[in-house]
Amino acid sequence: MSITELPPPVTTPLFERMTAAKKAEVVRELSDLLGARYVLYTPYDLMLYEYDASIDRSTPDVVVLPATTEDVVAIVKIAARHHVPVVPRGAGTGLSGGAIPIYGGIVIAFARMNRILEIDYDNLRAVVQPGLVNLHLSNALNPQGYYYVPDPSSQRSCTIGGNAGENAGGPHTLIYGVTTNHVLGLEIVTPEGNVVQVGGWTYDTPGYDLTGLLIGSEGTLCIVTKIIVRIVHLPEAVKTMVAVFDTMDDASNTVSEIIASGVIPAAIEMMDEMILQAVEADTHAGYPLDAAAVLLMEAEGLREAVAEQVDKIVSICNKHHARSVRIAANETERQLFWSGRKNAFGAVGRISPEFYVQDGVVPRTRLPYVLRRVGEICASYGLKVGNVFHAGDGNLHPLILFDSQIPGEVERVRKAGHEILEVCAEAGGTITGEHGVGIEKQEEMALIFNEVDLRVMQQVREAWNPRQLFNPGKLFPMPGRCAEIKQL
Amino acid sequence: MVEIETFATSIQQYAPTVQLTSEPDELRNYAVDGLLPRLVVIPDSVEQVAQIVALTNQQGLKLLTRGGGSRINLGGIPEQIDVLLETTKLTRLLEHEAPDLTCHVEAGITLAALQAQLATKGQWLALDPPDAEQATLGGILASNASGPKRLRYGSARDMVIGLRVVQASGDIARSGGRVVKNVAGYDLNKLYIGSLGTLGIIIEANFKLQPLPISERTFLLTFLNAADAMQTVITILGSLLTPSAVELIDARAASDMSDFFGLNLPTNGYTLAVNFEGSAVAIDRQSDETRSLARKNGALLSDDLTGEAQDQFWDVVREHTQGSVTCKVAVLVSQVASYLQRIEQVCRRNELEAAVVAHAGNGILYIELRPGDATPRLVEAIRELRLYAQEARGRLVVERCPIDLKRLTSVWGEPGPDFYLMQRLKQQFDPDSTFVKGRFMGGL
Repeated sequence: MSITELPPPVTTPLFERMTAAKKAEVVRELSDLLGARYVLYTPYDLMLYEYDASIDRSTPDVVVLPATTEDVVAIVKIAARHHVPVVPRGAGTGLSGGAIPIYGGIVIAFARMNRILEIDYDNLRAVVQPGLVNLHLSNALNPQGYYYVPDPSSQRSCTIGGNAGENAGGPHTLIYGVTTNHVLGLEIVTPEGNVVQVGGWTYDTPGYDLTGLLIGSEGTLCIVTKIIVRIVHLPEAVKTMVAVFDTMDDASNTVSEIIASGVIPAAIEMMDEMILQAVEADTHAGYPLDAAAVLLMEAEGLREAVAEQVDKIVSICNKHHARSVRIAANETERQLFWSGRKNAFGAVGRISPEFYVQDGVVPRTRLPYVLRRVGEICASYGLKVGNVFHAGDGNLHPLILFDSQIPGEVERVRKAGHEILEVCAEAGGTITGEHGVGIEKQEEMALIFNEVDLRVMQQVREAWNPRQLFNPGKLFPMPGRCAEIKQL
Repeated sequence: MVEIETFATSIQQYAPTVQLTSEPDELRNYAVDGLLPRLVVIPDSVEQVAQIVALTNQQGLKLLTRGGGSRINLGGIPEQIDVLLETTKLTRLLEHEAPDLTCHVEAGITLAALQAQLATKGQWLALDPPDAEQATLGGILASNASGPKRLRYGSARDMVIGLRVVQASGDIARSGGRVVKNVAGYDLNKLYIGSLGTLGIIIEANFKLQPLPISERTFLLTFLNAADAMQTVITILGSLLTPSAVELIDARAASDMSDFFGLNLPTNGYTLAVNFEGSAVAIDRQSDETRSLARKNGALLSDDLTGEAQDQFWDVVREHTQGSVTCKVAVLVSQVASYLQRIEQVCRRNELEAAVVAHAGNGILYIELRPGDATPRLVEAIRELRLYAQEARGRLVVERCPIDLKRLTSVWGEPGPDFYLMQRLKQQFDPDSTFVKGRFMGGL
């Protein structure tokens, strides 16, 4: 069932909004704990926290900025005592509504818990607080020749805590894996207010792999207060290539053949014509304006291995009629190529008042078919769509342009988005590769999971967060939707 | 309690093709830590597995799943086994989407059989635990088995992209999917991997695959002491070099390998085996640099292995992680050298010998203690070694040991403060304790 076809909410909401008296009491307790400076509750202050980078919004009652794990514990205990929901928030760059407090309550913003606690180069580990900005970790490691691999496009602002919550990916996860492949242990706070260490510094901790379970649980099981990550040596050589194609099919067939040939580059990103035009207007990265698609590819590793990979990739591109293949001559040019890609979402803002981004994944061999279907679906709703995505993983990001001032347009966008995810599911894929389910794709969970599958997942929430104190009303199909539609 | 014969009859009614065994002589072959199951069932479809589990659950019986049996003795002593379900007839490779570098298998296929089929398309599943001929994929996942090449490729948690699992109720649930990137819903794959069948029975799995390496070479370096060897490992790991495996072998393990397998390893000091995969030109360069930094750290001589000699070497190394008393210790790489000294001290104090093979790049040591019948001394040694591991932020698991010793020692170590969360998961997934208890951490 599509989100647009849902009956109006008929079930009792999980949480009632706080009364003014209760809110005053909660604010007082929180202010005693953290100091008035770190407790926000006026409409003006709260406005910033009612949205993330998704399409939904809902205002919290209180926003708190803890400085320590002990603060978080105390906040959770206050929330539990008053039966007020708690939603953790990093930088608010999430694309599925993970940080939106559907039922209001307390939002814990981690801006003050943003420190690197420890770096151990001998053992290639770092311990960080959840509010640390992703890129800041690599910036700290780079001078010594190391970095942290997962690199979501929002890495200049998104936090590692948020990355852990969503199991974030990024362009360079093709060979190196996503967040879960780089986290060994966590310190968490449970809904009872217990501080628990899971996993650790070493491998294969006996017992269930709780770290693996919690990464990507979208704040619905616990609140993360410390993260132990793997770090790796910077590669010796990096070669970045841009291949230009006159048809989408040629570009997607190139991707399929590169993967099938056994060459697995560090990244393969695709941008289509609409995105290229937006990006060029914004970044002037030197992309052609009249091409159907561009592949941005990167090979990295030892000089010798990279040279061989580049040769092979170039020859596959040529075989599929690439108009040109350009290799970045130096680091400046490489950064320019990438800035075009990483700013793509922002660039689209120049040509459309709003856009809606999907995150389906399909088997890489199905890319040509699925991309065609995405185009057809959007055309059938009279919507413009651009594609900028992690082609090497088969992870699509169609950006559907719209203007919510036009009556009915938001609903058409939702319908188109839903149909695209149906196509992804039918092609053997999934509804989200890295953005998470959140609020946005709750109903679409039913496209890939049946009742039993979902019941088993709910057992997990029942074990950890039975009263849904943490991030209530997310992840699973709901009988009714309570968040307001974002009005832009 | 239900008569097991009645139970057997009802299984046959539901699924006449299920192979059943209740002959005492045959059951003996299926003993787990000396405990005999009352009935062995060998279904030939996943639907049958589901039916059998549902029936077991309804009758209040206890069920244990077994693949090839190579690691069936891992874990604590089982409480009671009514039904032992063997998956070895579920051997189909359901799909190998070679251009997508993914595959979908039934859980009873052996690792060797799967690799042989994948190799026809130039690919492999990058898992290299011991006993590939016997071990099934289901068993490898349930016991989270791994091998030397985990340094490059990671372990099962890094390659499983989807699972189908029979729940305690007999329902079949899917987690993940067949694409390489997927964050829809909780990542239950991680929860099932290494859970030793206590939450469900893995019946199908989807994997991410790797292209077979173009070529491969192994360098053997010899060091007089562990500190020099491990300094070399740390330098390699922090360098540009990209080894697939870095294995440390102590003198006693080297001597065993030479005696029994005809390998010619130096039997004093420590042998470091460094494996590289890739193109010849990249390997050449890495070999030069490895030798040069090994020399700086006092390496005595170096040799290299290719082809069959190399394959045989790694087979022997893998098998050597399975003595009659073997502890698996995970510590930080920087602590491996001092931990090796601790092992010597502990053995001296307790009049024991140790033979050690380590995935040195991951900080994982397999310590064989002997003689295997010195039970009281072994108990004490394991206690001390576990303490030292914990001091080094690590853990010790007794992977293999005789049952007498198992009765007197904790296989997994004392559960930590996160254990209550594991108990709650077990309670949710298996409220009636249909899956045999006693083997997993804390008796789960």
